[in-house]
Amino acid sequence: MRLHAGGYLTFYLPQRKSPMELHLAQPILLIAILQKYRIPKSEVQLVSVNGTQVDLETALVVDRDEVQIVSGVDGG
Amino acid sequence: MIGQSEKILRINLSDGSIETEILADEFYKLYPGGKALAGFILLNEMPANTPVFSPENVLVIANGLLTGAPVSTATRYVVSARSPLTNSYGESEAAGFWGPELKMAGYEAIVVKGRAEQPVYVWIQGDQVEIRPAEHLWGKQTAEVQELIRQELGDEKIRVLQIGPAGENLVRYAGITNDLRHFNGRNGMGAVMGSKNLRAIAVRGDQRYQSKAHDPDSLLGLGRKLAKSVRENPLSWDLQQRGTPGIVEPLNKGGILPTRNFRQGVFENVDSIKWEVYEKELLTARRSCYACAVRCKREVSLNGEVSRYGGPEYETIGAFGPNCAVGDLQVIARANELCNAYMLDSISTGATIAFAMECFEHGLIDLEDTGGLDLRFGNGEAMLVMIEQIALRQGLGDLLAEGSLRAAEAIGGEAGFFAIQVKGQELAMHEPRGKYNVGMGYAISEIGADHLVVAHDPALANSESITFKSAIPLGIEEAQPVRSLSAEKMKHFYILEKWGSFEKVVGFCFFGPAPRSFIHPDDVLLAVNAATGWNQDIAGLLKIGERATNMARIFNLREGFSRKDDTLPERIFQGLENGPLQGEPYPRHEFQEALSTLYALKGWHPESGIPTRERLRELSLEWAEELLPEKAE
Repeated sequence: MRLHAGGYLTFYLPQRKSPMELHLAQPILLIAILQKYRIPKSEVQLVSVNGTQVDLETALVVDRDEVQIVSGVDGG
Repeated sequence: MIGQSEKILRINLSDGSIETEILADEFYKLYPGGKALAGFILLNEMPANTPVFSPENVLVIANGLLTGAPVSTATRYVVSARSPLTNSYGESEAAGFWGPELKMAGYEAIVVKGRAEQPVYVWIQGDQVEIRPAEHLWGKQTAEVQELIRQELGDEKIRVLQIGPAGENLVRYAGITNDLRHFNGRNGMGAVMGSKNLRAIAVRGDQRYQSKAHDPDSLLGLGRKLAKSVRENPLSWDLQQRGTPGIVEPLNKGGILPTRNFRQGVFENVDSIKWEVYEKELLTARRSCYACAVRCKREVSLNGEVSRYGGPEYETIGAFGPNCAVGDLQVIARANELCNAYMLDSISTGATIAFAMECFEHGLIDLEDTGGLDLRFGNGEAMLVMIEQIALRQGLGDLLAEGSLRAAEAIGGEAGFFAIQVKGQELAMHEPRGKYNVGMGYAISEIGADHLVVAHDPALANSESITFKSAIPLGIEEAQPVRSLSAEKMKHFYILEKWGSFEKVVGFCFFGPAPRSFIHPDDVLLAVNAATGWNQDIAGLLKIGERATNMARIFNLREGFSRKDDTLPERIFQGLENGPLQGEPYPRHEFQEALSTLYALKGWHPESGIPTRERLRELSLEWAEELLPEKAE
């Protein structure tokens, strides 16, 4: 699975690099991956799996998925 | 101490007089620079209905009390006058090095009146102030002028604030640049300078801010702490890594990337203009403003050469990219170069060209009008030609140089619907249908559509987020959805508007204080008190901001503006054409209710929008009562 971080969420990924590659042996809740890497769900505003927006709390992901998490985005 | 015996420089270009004025300490405490000082001067020294290009239009360039402090993001100054684009209170801020240098030269502000008979520039070196001829600079692009001034004065470290040919030609959204890389883009302040035949103000100073501070050790300690913390906060870290261009793709993902003149929220060619492409194709270095550890400025290379103008920010990418449907980052970067060489506001330029593209596609203007240019959405080369025509007022560019509102009135028909503006100023590249308080900011801002009135809605949408928690000291209590106009949301707006206005008074960048970025309100307070010894509290800082906002409001009321002008373009009240928010309008009825709620919070009459006498007294603005229209209570 590839986890792409948008907005300021790259900050929370290992080495602060996006995307992060993960090998998943079986389907897993996305929220569990966020917890494992200490990515605070309070900072995640939008989640999509393979281009479709999903609910962070219930999304199941598998090894071939492209997952995007995006923080709120301010102006400037 | 900072705040004591602050000086302003008064220049009259009609008679060549130059005077210095010392501000009373008690006065400065109420109007501590920036937006507050400028608002006071404009209200008290310029009669209502002053023609924008007349010598009587007063141009104020004002530092904030913290501008030049050794604290990251405290670098900004305000340029203010009656705006040629909106006919309202005009204002535009910029960061960089020029404001701190003016402070080092000993001045808090410059007030320019009159009009020089021939082009001139001003040279300030401490107490030595000269008005010098500038005929040899007139008509030249900004990079050449900066070089010529530095050569002429024999010092490569001189900081140069200047307009470009667009300001000389009175393009109503001409801007001002300093050091070629920092911009007072919005509201046509460059055209006001041009109308005064004032091409540039060059400055050199040698005073250190901290030598005048009340508690220099605390200030320096705070500065060091903040410099270290930039990389420990996700928001400021992201600004350092990617800068504003990093938000292109996330906005598109959320369906709120303004596309094809705000018809759509998703751009099909976003992959060609996203940050990864910018980093690979354009980026050469990350640059900074004075004493700022955020380093959000991008340096880029074009055609193998490092640009002297810096790289395009998000607003520029948005305006010339998706909003004109141009998916070519090289073309967008060239558009950025042209705007900065001629010194045009890239937001209004891109938005006005997008307006013209939509008019062209609907047959309201044709090939004869465009001089044969195929001005359809997506034609990047035509867009580049049009930028030069606007700056030089050639062909159709002469009409577009008036801004989209005036151009629409001249074109007629449904062109007015395609002019995406408020009070005459074009919307920045943030989609109000996905961020309702941003929409409220566009509507109510005294300068026309402005995206920097309040921190954007996502910052306060989740009570567990770092941005929400950082706003609690300001009085924020309850998280609110981004697409809500509830009474609680209006409370957010009211508090954040005061905070944002305070930032514009004291010289902080939008990318410094929380909730947008990393500086906690307590540290903002510490900076003010260490500089001045005032012993302020957060409520006092918010009051400074509210006072400044009310002066700008009074300026507009005096010019005939009213509640009917606090609105949004008709298109925004209709649904987006694509993306996750397809079909979703900005809710018209709720907007009117929210506006009434907000007026009440601000102490403004619900119908007329005029501040009540009680609120003016709370803000120590009793003197302004006589300037109000008769409906005041």
